[in-house]
Amino acid sequence: MPQWLQSVVDYVTKSNNTPGWYADPVASAIWALIYIILIFTGVSIAVIAMNWLERKILAHMQVRLGPMRVGPHGLLQPIADALKLLIKEDIMPDQADKVVFWLAPVTIVITAFTVYIVIPFGPTHAVTDMNIGLLFMLGVSSIGVLGIIMAGWASNSHYPLMGSLRSSAQMVSYEIAMGMAVVSAVLMTSFKGGGNFFRQIYGTGGASVGTLSMIGIVRAQEAQQTWFLFKFFPLGLIAFFIFAVAMVAETNRAPFDLPEAESELVAGFHTEYSGFRWSLFFLAEYAAMIAVSSIAVTLWLGGWMRPFASLHGPNVEIPNYWSGGAIDLAFALVPALTFFVLALFAFIGTVRMPKHRAFRVQTIGLAGFALALGFIGLVLLEPHVRDRVQDIFWFSLKVAVFMYMYIWYRGTFPRYRFDQLMHLGWKFMIPTGIAVLILTAALGLGS
Amino acid sequence: MTMKKLLRKVLLLDLLQGLSLTFRYQDPKEIYTEQYPLQRPEVAERYRGAPRLNVNPDTNETLCIACDLCALACPEHLIVVTSERNEKTRRKELTTFTYDLSRCMFCGLCEDACPTDALELTQDFELANYTREGAIWDRQTLEQGPQPTVYKK
Amino acid sequence: MSEILKSEQSASSVKHLELEATPSPAYLDSDELILNMGPQHPSTHGVLRVILKLDGEKVMGTECVIGYLHRGVEKIAEHRTYAMFNPYVDRMDYVAAVSNGLGYCEAVEKLLNIEAPPRAQHIRVILAELNRLASHMLWLGTHALDIGAITPLFYTFRDREEILKIFEKYCGARLTTHAFRIGGCLYETYEGFEDECRNFVKFVRPKIDEYETLLTTNRIWVERTKGVGYISGDDCKAMGVTGPVLRASGVKWDIRKAQPYSGYQNFDFDIPVGTNGDTYDRYLVRIAEMRQSLRIIEQAVEKLPEGPVMAKVPKVVKPAVGEVYHGIESPKGELGYFIVSDGSTQPYRIRVRPPSFVNLQALDMMVRGALVADVVAVIGTIDIVLGEVDR
Repeated sequence: MPQWLQSVVDYVTKSNNTPGWYADPVASAIWALIYIILIFTGVSIAVIAMNWLERKILAHMQVRLGPMRVGPHGLLQPIADALKLLIKEDIMPDQADKVVFWLAPVTIVITAFTVYIVIPFGPTHAVTDMNIGLLFMLGVSSIGVLGIIMAGWASNSHYPLMGSLRSSAQMVSYEIAMGMAVVSAVLMTSFKGGGNFFRQIYGTGGASVGTLSMIGIVRAQEAQQTWFLFKFFPLGLIAFFIFAVAMVAETNRAPFDLPEAESELVAGFHTEYSGFRWSLFFLAEYAAMIAVSSIAVTLWLGGWMRPFASLHGPNVEIPNYWSGGAIDLAFALVPALTFFVLALFAFIGTVRMPKHRAFRVQTIGLAGFALALGFIGLVLLEPHVRDRVQDIFWFSLKVAVFMYMYIWYRGTFPRYRFDQLMHLGWKFMIPTGIAVLILTAALGLGS
Repeated sequence: MTMKKLLRKVLLLDLLQGLSLTFRYQDPKEIYTEQYPLQRPEVAERYRGAPRLNVNPDTNETLCIACDLCALACPEHLIVVTSERNEKTRRKELTTFTYDLSRCMFCGLCEDACPTDALELTQDFELANYTREGAIWDRQTLEQGPQPTVYKK
Repeated sequence: MSEILKSEQSASSVKHLELEATPSPAYLDSDELILNMGPQHPSTHGVLRVILKLDGEKVMGTECVIGYLHRGVEKIAEHRTYAMFNPYVDRMDYVAAVSNGLGYCEAVEKLLNIEAPPRAQHIRVILAELNRLASHMLWLGTHALDIGAITPLFYTFRDREEILKIFEKYCGARLTTHAFRIGGCLYETYEGFEDECRNFVKFVRPKIDEYETLLTTNRIWVERTKGVGYISGDDCKAMGVTGPVLRASGVKWDIRKAQPYSGYQNFDFDIPVGTNGDTYDRYLVRIAEMRQSLRIIEQAVEKLPEGPVMAKVPKVVKPAVGEVYHGIESPKGELGYFIVSDGSTQPYRIRVRPPSFVNLQALDMMVRGALVADVVAVIGTIDIVLGEVDR
């Protein structure tokens, strides 16, 4: 067996490797490639699921049903939409700057997906562990603005131009606030121990080095046994809040969706886009939403750590299945349980399906979907899978909460005006961000 | 600014109230949508929908006395009534009755004008048609209702 | 670049745009941008076209282009009998068709010197107030949608549906109701009409509170609407602006109180008045008006007298030679009908004074110096219906 193959096998069977740091470069490359394919597929599926969920949840908030016709409960609607977008006529405006017009969606998609390289879905689940991971991520995601400006400029039309100008101003100013919040979290990685003020100042802990590596940041939270959200309460919380607001503005979502403000600028920077090109913007928007949510999860919500990670409970022995803490066991079973609950919902949906001839195919389809979910749940009970998937599950769950929040905001809030957005960004978020940063540094003195 | 107002502002209470409202509305019981072809809407008794020319159910003779009042009452002049004098009974008898639904605004004035309750706007609201000509209803369609082609597998 | 200039200069919109301080080759001035908002735009409420002169996002001037929905309603009237024209007025302000019908019927009644019987007047008041609620609900939903809150629209439409159901049961149509006839109402109330109205009032009160929960205190909503689209009471009077826009500027003028018609003097209700004359006050005034309408409906249902619903009207309406003006308080402002009769069965001339058309004239005054986003908010807050503006 060649060495690189051996290392891949090792990687799959043992779970103590760090991604991107193998002795054999070939193995690293192969493993990175596998992860890239996995992540690309995973994110695309997540975007499709997100599309369906957004329409459904928004519909329910608005006392509507949402998509109901394509597939049971509209489950196949996003696929139908994607198909429609792909086969739609691709219109390029006559007066458009053809090259830039073509380049803009490509730029946005590339930047939106590139950031996934450093996102740690688990201690061993990442394409690579870059030592400047966070910086890389913020830097690359900022290039997304360029794509929006290009789209607005190349369309050679008033509404897109105004949309892209709004977007650039908005993203540039919110990036600063975001940066302040991020730096305060990075600062926290260099501290040791809990959050006791006096122990921080007078304690004995020697100076440790902070890290920008995404995996390192979560490891620091593991070592300090707290999510940075609760560190130096309420400083971590405020920093997180600033980030949470800035990230909504950064991804151009309601209530900060000025660049594509539908009621003002028709569709903002992508007014002139249609068909496949437009779908790229759509894909990138959702991919970016997931990406920034991942940053928030990594920095403040403990990344892949499960809730109450420091509690283990009494020892439980189940032969061939489990040896360890009872609480650990309970949390280890949550992923499978989640899928069983989803399968149950799908099953209830199947039973409640109208008994009409026209619904026979849909009923069968939903039953199949329920079976598939149940099967995934069963697979997740298998010890090897259970242990390897834990991290990914908790990470995804936290990101999913953020995704829900995005939809929730959209369903509730009116839209800010351009100048008010700037006002909020420059006069509130940035000063608060700087204050939090200074206070964090002060509280962390001596640690 | 009073303390209470400041607290409301800092704790984002105004935003949280709205969020909780939309959250509560996610209950599937609140859904208001009707799924039209499966769930038929209940149309009111007085609904002004497709016109119908009533016939006497016993004799199958039309109730219309060809008085032309409906045609006179119609703001759009879309009703055309032709009649023929029956020499035996010395009464006007209806020959054709044309009703152009494509121009109708369902105001109900023809219905009001009819002295014999022959012309009536019914509860039928599905008036889609494949052709413009299909929207012009003749006497037969008005009496028997539209007879759409039923496609079967 | 030169290609762009040529294409823009050849656009017809440029030629009739006469705004002050426009240098002759307007497009060499890089400070200004001419933006064509509408007629196909999601928030110009139909087919209004607003030509905006922008400096960045700041609005330097506007010009409204109307007429995309012109159907010649006033001309049609000259070729219809008085009764035959009645359904056409529903189609002007299609959001408040009952009010339109009420104004027209009352105007013709004034011309004929007859009065609808008390029961008919009460039914008219109930339906007109229900319609005011429906119109304000639609306004609230679309206005909130313009400002970016997408959810209130569905709540208001859901509750408006209850009103439309009452309309449908009463007169057979939901939107273009044709509910009234000259001299009263054609239809007697249906069984359970009073109960349904009472239940509706009970049902909708907490719903209005819900809209307020979503908007009134919401900081984004307040920021978006406070101080936006200011117009003073004097300016309103000078421009002939009426309705909630006028009242929000502090002028207590409501035709229901000032020149009562259809028995409005018998009901106890307040006229909500604003102070600041901005978009937020107009919002508050309309919300308060919705509550007042509920009060009127409650009283009218309680007092609903017995009796006929139709006065003695000649079979052929043939008013004497003369002219009449009758104005009513429609949900959007003063809706007036000026009818000239030449003694025949058809009116010689009907002129409609539509509130939306007059109120729209204040748009330029209200948005000058504001931002593009405010233009949308102000168009929403004036509450125009293009069917009524263009007729």
